[in-house]
Amino acid sequence: MPDSELIQIMKQRAETVQAIVSKITSMAQAFQYTVDLTQKQGGKTVVATGLKPDQTRLLKTACETADLELLEFPLKYHAQGIHTSLTPVDWGIAETGTLVIDSYSEDVRIATMLAETHIAVLPASKIKPDSESLEAELNAVLKADTPSYYAFITGASRTADIERVLAIGVHGPQELHILIVEEAPQ
Amino acid sequence: MIKTAQDMKSYKKQLKEALSDQFLRTALDNFYTAYRENRSAVYDGIDFESIKKELATEKDGALPYLEELYEEFKVHAETAGAKVRIATNAQAANEIITAIARENNVKKIVKAKSMTAEETFLNDHLEKEGFTVTETDLGEWIIQLRKEGPSHMVMPAIHLSRHQVGDLFADVTGKKQHSEDIDQLVKVARKELRPTYLAADMGITGANFAIAESGALGLVTNEGNMRLVTTMPRVHVALVGYDKLIPDLKTMLRILKVLPRNATGQAITSYVTWIKGAVECGSSPGSRKVMHIVFLDNGRLALAKDPVFSSALRCIRCGACANVCPIYSKVGGHKYGHVYIGAIGLILTLFYHGIENDRVIVKNCINCQACREVCPVDIDLPHLIKKTYRAVLDQDGKTPAKNFILSRVMKNRRLFHFILRQAHLAQKPLGQKGPMIRHLPNFFEKRHGFRSLPAIAETPFRDQWKNLRKPVVRPKYTVALFAGCAVDFIYPEQAKALLSLIKGYGVQVEFPMDQTCCGLPALMAAEEATARDVALQNMRAMQPENYDYILTLCASCASHLKHNGLKIFKKDSDRLGKIKEFSDKIIDFSSFMVNVLKVSSEEFKATHKKVAYHAPCHLCRGLHVTTEPRNLIQLAGYTYIRSKDEDVCCGFGGSYSIDFPEISAEILKKKLDNVEDTTAELLVTDCPGCVLQLRGGMDKRRGKIQVKHIAELLAETVF
Repeated sequence: MPDSELIQIMKQRAETVQAIVSKITSMAQAFQYTVDLTQKQGGKTVVATGLKPDQTRLLKTACETADLELLEFPLKYHAQGIHTSLTPVDWGIAETGTLVIDSYSEDVRIATMLAETHIAVLPASKIKPDSESLEAELNAVLKADTPSYYAFITGASRTADIERVLAIGVHGPQELHILIVEEAPQ
Repeated sequence: MIKTAQDMKSYKKQLKEALSDQFLRTALDNFYTAYRENRSAVYDGIDFESIKKELATEKDGALPYLEELYEEFKVHAETAGAKVRIATNAQAANEIITAIARENNVKKIVKAKSMTAEETFLNDHLEKEGFTVTETDLGEWIIQLRKEGPSHMVMPAIHLSRHQVGDLFADVTGKKQHSEDIDQLVKVARKELRPTYLAADMGITGANFAIAESGALGLVTNEGNMRLVTTMPRVHVALVGYDKLIPDLKTMLRILKVLPRNATGQAITSYVTWIKGAVECGSSPGSRKVMHIVFLDNGRLALAKDPVFSSALRCIRCGACANVCPIYSKVGGHKYGHVYIGAIGLILTLFYHGIENDRVIVKNCINCQACREVCPVDIDLPHLIKKTYRAVLDQDGKTPAKNFILSRVMKNRRLFHFILRQAHLAQKPLGQKGPMIRHLPNFFEKRHGFRSLPAIAETPFRDQWKNLRKPVVRPKYTVALFAGCAVDFIYPEQAKALLSLIKGYGVQVEFPMDQTCCGLPALMAAEEATARDVALQNMRAMQPENYDYILTLCASCASHLKHNGLKIFKKDSDRLGKIKEFSDKIIDFSSFMVNVLKVSSEEFKATHKKVAYHAPCHLCRGLHVTTEPRNLIQLAGYTYIRSKDEDVCCGFGGSYSIDFPEISAEILKKKLDNVEDTTAELLVTDCPGCVLQLRGGMDKRRGKIQVKHIAELLAETVF
């Protein structure tokens, strides 16, 4: 399947579960997106995981300019106060619009669980057609002798527990934004 | 607290309450329709039938090795820092978890939803031991606050309205809630529970999978609370049923194709999480989570070895057997299970929660096969429910009067038919003149009066046969007609309609006189020995080798004769061959007309009368015959009008409608309402039992729509 078709399916399936999907070409765009969205939503705080030191500096500057605070690790001290989280994604699964994130790090878990809005950066090259085609990669992690916490995330958190009416944003993030990077992030 | 009825009288009282709870009825009705629509959309392009068979084989394959899988799991999980152990029963599980909490100086506990923890009544135990336990799944939190048990395995608070939840949340927050706005109610839970995760010392979860090859747990969730429960506190305990052990990730990924689809109509849930060993945890000394996994046996290992019931352990807790059950849709989960709800609940309750909690509810199955069809791991639920009922009767060492009489009478065809003939005489004093009995004698209770009953025919079909039999020269097909009790003694005109339709097709029909009841009523009363006896009588009477087909106008007889003989004689290798031959010859009316005789529209005059169709459970699910009757209606010159929920049970179920008339009446009402919502002038079906129910109900409500067997419909337009 050509990449563009996989990206298209990924986007469409993620959108059917209320994720907001955009295409970007650089991490700088991801930072701008994060800052703009946080401001628009009236948020004050941002966290970001998986960044290199120079990328962190770049985001910190962008946040400060917009009067936002880029929170420091460990995030457990900010558990009640995270508005936006920006995290990398290990894999995408087009069939279901799913993000696959290695969440061994507690900071990654807190970022993806306790933020009001989660922005996930997915390299286009990491999109697989279905979960079966990720079996080997997933098993390599699970079968290692070390602990692991691995997550499939598909859309924002949801419930239908009251009258079976779908409500988005229960205990996890209320919005999930996916930024598909068509070139590998620098 | 869960209050499952322990005797029929209190059960009937509970059922009455549920049936008159208008909100519950609306909520369940909406759920019932919406679920089935969502589900069929989300399975588009997926070969459910193949996956179902494969998963059944895989799950069965693992059952004999559960202990080996456990050992394999334990090695891998412990290498990664978890502690793994077995709890032999519910009490042991609760004590182990209490001890873990004590060792770790735990005070506050947060819980994610776990049916296994419901099974052991873990919360009650922990609270008695002085711990604060908070459920964090929205539905579980609601029922915890209301001090109730779950009414559904996936949606535990489906029995409540937004207003009831709004009132509850107003009490919790001390603020009035806008209960029209479900989003706002959900936000209350979000806000109230956030600090609870952060303050908790220990998180308790269940697991959907325990993967032996890696020692990882797999959890399938939507709300995100489980992720918080396994992240924020310093201790994590997973209570996992032994049956959740699977060999590998491949199996989990396959089950994952059907679990969310069946449970909630989603292609995948918001979160699927794998947790292995002691992960990073800042609030724990040493920065690693204290991780314990407790495997609950509680009878599972014995069940895995049981020749009859082991397949119940295939269950992946999708809850779909409740979602499609017409009885659940009328009375809800609190009246249709104990801890485990729905068809699987009627079975598992005996094994996990004892005979006292299953004795009464296990009788409440109409055998419509809807659960069996939807089950993603191919558990023959209706069959196991009857087997469970048998086990209940055996454990109690009692034979109900109904069963005693039924067995005595059915084993003796002459006696049985004598009684049916007497019934014709007995109804005379009831002032019966036409084909319907509208007023039941006083010894029937009022609740049985929801339908008129048909009169027993003056001359049963078998007594008319001598004059009806037409010899055919050089027949193309030789066919034995299996009438079944209803056609033989109540509706001989349906068989006569058949005879008029097949004239000129070269069909030699025979009516073997020693045929008797098909035996389904015996099986429904869990009298398998009687069903077996009757099956042998029929096999001797019919001599399958002499016929091309054994034709019946009754979907229930057909489905029973086709499938249940093979189950009953599974281990009787001497007879199995013959039973198989018998089973292979069984054919229903519509399939015979369309696929064998290949009737064409030229043989019928067009009337364009509008006809609605009711698909009998035992035809559409029992025999998987769905297109033939609908084609036949149109071939015969009628306009087929689709009505809502055509394939949903009519509420008859043989003696079910006598044992549970209040539920039967409600299911029937919905069925007739749906038909009356169309422009149809006629309602047809392929089963005399359904005709009895539908016609009786239509007569009682003075409806204008005529109810006919499809053979009668065709006989009216055939040239």
